Amino acid sequence: MEPSDIIYEGLSNFLLRKESHYYIFRVKDLVELNDLIIKEKLEVIILNPSILINRIQEFNKLRKNSPSLIWIGLIYAVFENELLSRFDDLINLTDTSDVISARLNKTLEKCNCRNNEQEELSERETEVLVKLLSGFSNKEIADQLNISIHTVISHRKNIIEKTGIKSLPGLTIYAISQKIIPLD
Amino acid sequence: MYQTHRIFAKPDMKMSDLIEENPRLLLLLEHFEIDFAVSDKTIAGICSENEISVSLFIMIVNLYNGFHPSKKDIDSLSDIIQILQFLKNSHDYYKNDKYPEIKGYIDKLPHNSYNKEVKLIENFFTDYFNEVLEHLDYEDEIAFPYFKMLTGAKDSKVMNDFSTDEYRNHHTDIETKLTDLKNLLLMHIKITDQLPLRRKLIFSLFEFEYDLQIHALIEEKILLPLIENIEKEKNHG
Repeated sequence: MEPSDIIYEGLSNFLLRKESHYYIFRVKDLVELNDLIIKEKLEVIILNPSILINRIQEFNKLRKNSPSLIWIGLIYAVFENELLSRFDDLINLTDTSDVISARLNKTLEKCNCRNNEQEELSERETEVLVKLLSGFSNKEIADQLNISIHTVISHRKNIIEKTGIKSLPGLTIYAISQKIIPLD
Repeated sequence: MYQTHRIFAKPDMKMSDLIEENPRLLLLLEHFEIDFAVSDKTIAGICSENEISVSLFIMIVNLYNGFHPSKKDIDSLSDIIQILQFLKNSHDYYKNDKYPEIKGYIDKLPHNSYNKEVKLIENFFTDYFNEVLEHLDYEDEIAFPYFKMLTGAKDSKVMNDFSTDEYRNHHTDIETKLTDLKNLLLMHIKITDQLPLRRKLIFSLFEFEYDLQIHALIEEKILLPLIENIEKEKNHG
C-alpha cells in the first residue's frame, strides 16, 4: 500500500527483477486491503505508515483477523516510534536492493515452513469436513462435537486454506480422493 | 487481482511490443475483433482503424497488465456499447471455445476403476459450466439489453424490473469453483500418467481463469460504475 506511483513502481520492479517470485498487488486503502486478504493468500504487506494515521483501529482489526500476515513499513518520512512499533519489520527508502530482498526472504521463509507443516488436515478438521459434507450446519456441527460455532468456523477456514478448495462439491471430491468419505 | 505485468500501456506504444510482453493480450484483440497481424501499428493507430475508443482500449489493456483504472478515467468513458460488445465476444469465447476445449480434455482422461475420481471431475465441471452458462445467458438476455436501453440504443427490448443492484447480486463469483477444479487437479487427484493431456487441461483452465478475472473486473470496475452514473442522472433529471 503506497500512494506514490514512483515508489510503488520502483519497489515492485525491483522485487520482480529478483530471483525469487513474488505476486504483487497494489491497494489504495484498508478497505481494499481487507477485500484482498479475503480473496488472496497474502503473506507480506508492505505499507506506508502514513496510511495508518487515524486508522489504527482498522489496522488492529486486520491484524487480529489475519495473525499470520507480516506487516512491513516502508519508511521515507518521520513517524512516531509508537506507530512504527506496530510493524513486524521496516524498509527504508535508502535501503539497497540486497538489504530489502534479504529481509523479505527471511520473513517469507518463516511463512513458507508454517504452510508446509499445516498441509494435512488435523483429526478435528477431518471430523468437521465429514459433517459439513453430510449437510450439517455450523450450529449442528458445533452441538455434535461439543465445540463453539466460532471454533467450527475457524476449522472450516483452515480446511479451505489447507486444501485450496472452497466449494462443497469441490470438497466432496477432495474427501473422496483422500478416502475420507467413500465413493457413492 | 493477479500478478502485475510491468508495462503501463499508452496510445503511442506499439501493439506488437505489448503482445511480446504479455501474449494474453491476443485474447483482448480477439474480443475487440481486431486482427493479430498488427505490423508496427501503435495503439492509437489500431483504435482509429477499428473505430474503438482509445481510452477504453488502453484501460482494458492495462487491466490485462494488472493496472486498475482510476475513477476519473472511468467517469470520462462514454463507450458502453463497445464494452458490451467486448463482453459479449468474451461470452462467445467461453461458450464456443473454452468450454468444448476443456470438456474435450476431461473426456479424454482415463475413465476406469483406477481413476474413479475422473468421473467426479467430469460431473463437477459439467455442473460448474451450467452455472456459468446460466450467468452468461442472464447477462446476454437481461442485463446487457437493459444497459443498451439506458444508453438510448433503439433496437432494445427490455424488462422493466431490472436494476443494477439485482445485477450485482446475480453477479456471483463464478471464479471460485474454477479455482477448486484447478486445485483438485494440481494438488489432490491422482490420475495415472497422461501428463501431456493433463498439462493441456490445466493450462486451459488457467487461460480460462485469467480471462474470467479480467471479465469480472471490467464488469465490476468499469461497466457497473458507468451504468450507475447514467441511472443517477436519469433519476435526477
